[in-house]
Amino acid sequence: MFDFVGKRYWFFLLSALVIVPGIISLAVFGLKPGVDFSSGTSITISLSTEVEEGQLRDEVASLGYSDAIVQKTGDTFLIRIPGEPTTADKQKIVDGIQTRFETEVTVEDFSAVSPIVAAQTARNAAIAIAVASVGILLYITFAFRRMPSPFRWGICAIIALLHDIMVVVGIFSILGWLTGAKVDVMFITGVLTVAGYSVHDTIVVFDRIRENMSKRIGKDFEETVNVSIVQTLTRSLNTSLTVFLVILTLLLLVGGTIHNFTIVLLIGVVTGTYSSVCNASQLLIVWENGEWRRLFSWLPFRRKPNPQT
Amino acid sequence: MSRNGWLLLLILALLGTSIWILSSSGTSVLHRQQGNLGLRLGLDLKGGVQVVYTGVFSDNTSDAQKSFDIDAAISSMQKRIDKYGVVEPVIQKLGNDRILVQLPGIGDVDEARRLVEQTAFLEFREVEMNGTGPATLGDYLSENRTGFFETGDIGAEGAPIGREFVDSNGQPVVFIEESDSGLKYVDVDGNAIDPTAIDATMKTGLSWMPAVGEVTREGVTTTVVLTGAYLTDASPQTSSQSSVTTEISVGIKWNSEGTDLFNQVAQRIKNKGSYGTSQRALGIFLDNELLSAPQVFPTTMTESSYGSSASITGNFTWNEARTLAVQLTSGALPISLKELFSSNVSATLGADFVHKALAAGLVGFLVVALFMILYYRLPGVIAILALAVYAILVLAIYKLIPVTMTLAGLAGFIVSLGMAVDANVLIFERMKEELRAGRTLKAAMDAGFSRAWLAIRDSNISTFIACAILYWFGSSIVTSPAVKGFALTLFIGVAVSMFSAIVSTRTFLLSFTGPWATKRLTWFGVEAKSEVEAKDA
Repeated sequence: MFDFVGKRYWFFLLSALVIVPGIISLAVFGLKPGVDFSSGTSITISLSTEVEEGQLRDEVASLGYSDAIVQKTGDTFLIRIPGEPTTADKQKIVDGIQTRFETEVTVEDFSAVSPIVAAQTARNAAIAIAVASVGILLYITFAFRRMPSPFRWGICAIIALLHDIMVVVGIFSILGWLTGAKVDVMFITGVLTVAGYSVHDTIVVFDRIRENMSKRIGKDFEETVNVSIVQTLTRSLNTSLTVFLVILTLLLLVGGTIHNFTIVLLIGVVTGTYSSVCNASQLLIVWENGEWRRLFSWLPFRRKPNPQT
Repeated sequence: MSRNGWLLLLILALLGTSIWILSSSGTSVLHRQQGNLGLRLGLDLKGGVQVVYTGVFSDNTSDAQKSFDIDAAISSMQKRIDKYGVVEPVIQKLGNDRILVQLPGIGDVDEARRLVEQTAFLEFREVEMNGTGPATLGDYLSENRTGFFETGDIGAEGAPIGREFVDSNGQPVVFIEESDSGLKYVDVDGNAIDPTAIDATMKTGLSWMPAVGEVTREGVTTTVVLTGAYLTDASPQTSSQSSVTTEISVGIKWNSEGTDLFNQVAQRIKNKGSYGTSQRALGIFLDNELLSAPQVFPTTMTESSYGSSASITGNFTWNEARTLAVQLTSGALPISLKELFSSNVSATLGADFVHKALAAGLVGFLVVALFMILYYRLPGVIAILALAVYAILVLAIYKLIPVTMTLAGLAGFIVSLGMAVDANVLIFERMKEELRAGRTLKAAMDAGFSRAWLAIRDSNISTFIACAILYWFGSSIVTSPAVKGFALTLFIGVAVSMFSAIVSTRTFLLSFTGPWATKRLTWFGVEAKSEVEAKDA
């Protein structure tokens, strides 16, 4: 039987290796706001000849505005691009379309637009996750009330949740300056999905530990936890695999606009499964054994280690 | 009929209803959307309707003030549309005085207008009284009352103003200005008109001037009109007029700027006092219509401050008062808006996108089905059946609510298909364990369901709690349609997946397996070796 519990510090180290660079990147570079969150420019044009909407969209993208939103509005086209209105942008788009489609472009309207989604949406989502975490914490504490120190189970599930969010947001921040990945509403939806998936996955493992403890399987808590992780391993991997396959199909067949969203979910499924199998239950043991005291043993004001552990 | 038979019947009935909901089209509320199974598709997938409004401002309103008012109007509009469910509109400020509104899933512009414009624009104006009621255009004509005009009357732009008269539709028809040669009558285009030629029906037209006051924001003092934008709360209330009659009114609470403005207006009306037979009153106008004109008499105005609350009276029934209170709090637009133009808009992602996404969904489903069947054999087949039922039920619920399917929603739905498998995997893994431990098939099934139930229950209840908090949060403390929409779709997804696993899968499994199955345990993904053990047990 694989020893998931004994290798816990290697697992924690691996998590730290992913999270720490992510947090540094987040602190230094932050996240790049996408077209949803930035104020932009709206240009309404009418054309003297018929031009197909899809072709116009491709042309605007090939002019260097891959973020542009192009819509047909009755007889005119509405083009929205990120950034303050500049005549240079306007001229570039008008000239580009005129040359490409050999048509006369009339600019009906040219003005600044506010962001589609208020910038505080991201902050609001973060606050909402925080409040929801408290609710989940209370429920888990209730559901595990017959276990010794039920509060710990809730805390460990929430730590695993934060772990997954930090992994996703951190990696995305790194991707931001590597590939220019931008944050939009889809990203927020993705992070919320990952949060939901993470807790779901953790509880299944916790549930098995609870069951095995009441059956008195394993000679001590560590063994009970390890047996439970191994027993639920097939289920954890199979579920993750099915979700992973579905998202991979989305990424390969649709890609483009939802590329970032599917990347978030793919990272989220992997880290969500990893934290459930390799982190959450191990944290219970660290807490049970008071091992965190040892972690800080180099501090001058350390307490004496508990002789029982 | 056995319990299982009834459950099977229930599932089939739900399935039938869902298919009917999805397939039928008609004129009922259910079926207003056409095509795409009648689901409301978002702006990114299908497009919708666009309306551009401009704020109605007086000539020398500062750009900063315009921008401030438009922002306030946008946030009221957003709240208003939110009350109609998960619509996911796009509302943007164009320049600093226009609003671009795009609404998904609505085919006709009139319906979009109703949704956006069904907001109550509350404004306070100073009304001149002629002793019995508000002074009309007729009063001015018959008495040529220059006395109504006083130096010191200022408009929103801070300059002396004339009088504007409106007809019964609230449209301005006549303006009177005071000039050196007496009163000057002009029409809406500014052309002088002959007062004797004015239509008798127009003589009932009312006159007012906006109730203005000064506010200081970030060190800059501007003159603004007292409107519904300065309300923090409104609710219906009863107040006793005498010992026998009670009057129903709408109690309103000002925010701090509103309190200050109201005091300035009240003080000014009080100081004007009576002037000949005329007096000033504070008129309350809802969407340009005079609701009530509570007169504020000098004798009753002894206080120097009027606090932060007031009430609107106007012969309301309780229901009318409640509706007005809702309109005032959810959609009091701080400025009146004029429509510039409207049109249909196409999908932001282009037409082929939906087809790609649906193809991906189908392929994803097939991949999951293949995996489940190869790995779990017969239960896998049954899980896929349950999953198909799941997908149909969820889509029908989306249509009923209705949920706007955006790209994120569609992707979320496809992902939820994958997550719905989880509950099945939990149960089947448990079943396999029990079969390997040598239980009979029936016992293993029962054990699989009952043991997996605790894990399914706890993980799903946590998700429900999270959804409830996210939804409540997204619709109250911080208005965020993205958070709210996500919470709703996730809730539907998890609730139906729970039903799918513990009712559909279980019922199908029990229906499709009989005593024969015990001899064919390989169909359940358990090796022949344990099959022998199972027989021995």
